[in-house]
Amino acid sequence: MEATEFDASLGGTENLPITANSFKFAASRSIEITAMTESILRPNKTKLIFQSLPVHMRRRVMSHNCKRLPRRLREGHMEQLKKSGLPPKQKRPSRKYRRRPANLLAEYTRRQRRVTWLETHIWHAKRFHMTERWGFRLAHRPCDKAFRACYRATSAHCLLQDISYFVPILIKGSIESIENMFSLLCSKTCGLGVTAKAFISGNRAGSLNIFKPQSYPFGFIGKVEFQWVYTNEIPELLIFVHPSQIKEVEASFSSIILSEDSKLLKDSKRIKLSHNLSDISINVLYGQFNRFRLTGPKSHAILTHSLKTVNTIKLSSEWVSKTKNFDLYLQEKHEYWSNISNLSSPSQLPSRIVIGLIVKDPRWSRPKKRTKAEAVISPTNIEILRNLPKYAPSSPLWHTNVREIIKKNIITNGKFIEHVTKTHSVPGETNEDDPALQNIPVVLIQRPGSQNSTYKKIGYGSGWDIILPSGYGLPFWLTFIMFGARPGGLRETEHLSHEKGETYLCPDSVSGTLEEERIELQLKEHYFKRPPSKRVNFIKLGILSPFRCPWMILLRDWSSCACDNFFILRETNIINELQNCLNRKTPIITSFPNENSCLVAVYLQTEGKGLIKDHAIICMPNFGDFKSNKVLQEPQHEDKNSKIRKEKRLEHRKLLKKIRRAQIKLKKKLTEKITKPKTKSKEPSEYVKSMRDLWLKSFDSVRHACVRQTMGYVTKGAFSFTEAKGCAVGYIAFNALKYLIDSKFNKILVRNTTSNKYSVANIQLINNI
Amino acid sequence: MGDEINSKRKQDQQQNIQKRRPNKNYALKKRLPLRPKEGDNVIFITKKTNFKAQLDKCCDLLTKGEKDIILHGLGAAIQRCCNLALQVEALFAGTCQIEVNTGTVDLVDDLEPITDDLEFGAQVRHSSSIHIRIFRTALLGAN
Repeated sequence: MEATEFDASLGGTENLPITANSFKFAASRSIEITAMTESILRPNKTKLIFQSLPVHMRRRVMSHNCKRLPRRLREGHMEQLKKSGLPPKQKRPSRKYRRRPANLLAEYTRRQRRVTWLETHIWHAKRFHMTERWGFRLAHRPCDKAFRACYRATSAHCLLQDISYFVPILIKGSIESIENMFSLLCSKTCGLGVTAKAFISGNRAGSLNIFKPQSYPFGFIGKVEFQWVYTNEIPELLIFVHPSQIKEVEASFSSIILSEDSKLLKDSKRIKLSHNLSDISINVLYGQFNRFRLTGPKSHAILTHSLKTVNTIKLSSEWVSKTKNFDLYLQEKHEYWSNISNLSSPSQLPSRIVIGLIVKDPRWSRPKKRTKAEAVISPTNIEILRNLPKYAPSSPLWHTNVREIIKKNIITNGKFIEHVTKTHSVPGETNEDDPALQNIPVVLIQRPGSQNSTYKKIGYGSGWDIILPSGYGLPFWLTFIMFGARPGGLRETEHLSHEKGETYLCPDSVSGTLEEERIELQLKEHYFKRPPSKRVNFIKLGILSPFRCPWMILLRDWSSCACDNFFILRETNIINELQNCLNRKTPIITSFPNENSCLVAVYLQTEGKGLIKDHAIICMPNFGDFKSNKVLQEPQHEDKNSKIRKEKRLEHRKLLKKIRRAQIKLKKKLTEKITKPKTKSKEPSEYVKSMRDLWLKSFDSVRHACVRQTMGYVTKGAFSFTEAKGCAVGYIAFNALKYLIDSKFNKILVRNTTSNKYSVANIQLINNI
Repeated sequence: MGDEINSKRKQDQQQNIQKRRPNKNYALKKRLPLRPKEGDNVIFITKKTNFKAQLDKCCDLLTKGEKDIILHGLGAAIQRCCNLALQVEALFAGTCQIEVNTGTVDLVDDLEPITDDLEFGAQVRHSSSIHIRIFRTALLGAN
């Protein structure tokens, strides 16, 4: 038989089409094409990438060291390694390589990209536990367990902290317009304003509570420290803002100025009546100054030892020539500084005085060994302490060009040592008046500490703040350290405010809320890391929110109406009156608006034994609670969730078993290993989340949760070394305080979150919030 | 020992401060008093510190070979200072003697303005003081 042909022209059956549609042609083969390209790109072979290389390109231990592969294949190779479960090993460069100056510097700049470092960062990083806070990398606590030593430093020696993270803002403009601007931001009832006569001369620094524009008493932003500085005839206002509040402060400043401008456009008539703020200019001076905080009586001795004032200054010195028409008062200041140098504590000086000094390079005055600076006490003329000289606050540090020149002419440590070895033939002898090293203007601000002996011992927490030009942080820091100052971190700041009985980041401000959130997260994580048998069952103890204080719910419970915002009472007069009422057990007469959404800051001291810890609840006593000797106890609450938790756990265990069994079956069937994708996500599973919810009860009322009514919460409680007993700072609802005074009590009950015992504590209102 | 009186006084202190206030426009803030010469053997007696602790400190200093210790008391702490010195003398029966000096110390108070149109002020207040030197008359081994 003849073989049949395929083509029609040869007598077959198939006809060729006249035209070929290339698009259709490709489309019908698209699946094939994709399959092919995919198989080329990602070969489904059992071979690894380096095995597929031609022989001449193969190298020894290629799989181990990916650098022996051609660069284009490395990525795929790493992928394969990851899949096979081997951790991809990337060799860390040798220490020698990493420590090369250029590489080290590159590494430091890389690490500073996300967070800002202070000038003393590297010094701190070697000795401190560092944390990230407010966009900075800050020292939290020293590595040596120096908690008590740091306290001792504040009360008897000197604690040194780098607080350069405070942001300086310079406000220029006429005094009236600045006054007008701040009248929108703060209230007259909270204390002296910025333009008070006491501050305007620049002799004294002040502090001020700032609120969002025209929202007093709500919308608290924070406490800022300010001082007036003179670079010419017109004073400028310099404020130091905490970095957690800087955004809000900037926003409210700009909103005030912008709204004024828009008003200016709308009607020109009103401007004459209202204030004109357009002449105000605001300048944020990031990183222009260093600010160190010295706390404790010996801080004065440390400063007098390390700051050597200059008598005369040569005009040839570069920055001095820029300030020709600015009187430096060198001789007078030198005399004043030597007159007050023999004091035993900074709290013997006028409170909050500002002294501008011009000092020699601090590296000259360093002792060879770390020695404690002791004050040489000799009788001081009391007139010097009473009056403060007019020339004291003036300082060339506030001139921008002076700061620039100083920064440019800094002599680094390396150059300094080179200079000393070259010029000083007798080792150990120093020539303090060496013209090669420039003199540095610094500004000192005194902090009075406690001024009320009934509250805290007089002078506790007193010290100096020193403002330095940028670049000179470390030389000064090291000199202070060599004179016996003890360095501290953020923990010490918190601890000091607790010891002084002051509030730290108030909960009615955004910064305070953020801090609360951070602490809550930290505590929750810690709590749920423990096994269930080791967890405190807060439901049984009747503690509703052990990690965070529910202010809004508390206030709603104590007032008839619901409020959507709250504030802390800051009016000194009212607080004083309330304190008097509390002492004398007389009913409150004063009243003020928004009583229902008001919290009052209180300082608690336990009577007898017992410690108050963070987040403890402050409770209203009943009649007869103080008379009986028996310790009042909270009865155990029923934990309805425990049954549900048990059921849920069993159910979950069953489910897990089921899954495991199915997997084993599958394995046997397929015989080949199934690699389960190892996903280690930090997000806990649904089951874990629901179980966590069952450990902490949700609630919508706190007042009557326990046998005694809840008045408020403690934010910071611990053993206080100054009082030698458990002390705490907390807040109570104003209506609760009213109730307390009406029922003629001046003591309250406190219960820790992990205890069922109520302990008795004395209550005092905090006045200087 | 006078502690009962002290505690009673403490309650009235708030009122006392208001009495001492010279003007309604100022708040009176206290400063730390100037100190005489400091040293290891100088003790400043306070009302707040535990009496027993202060007594122990004095005894420790004397038994450890200090030739003399000096106690300073100011204002309301004078009584306690005397008490302490007498107690120490009784404890070291016959081996110690007391030398007492009295004087006046100038204290500076800050006057913080309450209204915006006032300057800071300062006032000098006088307070009586007592300086007691306790010194050993017999040798160490005698005790």
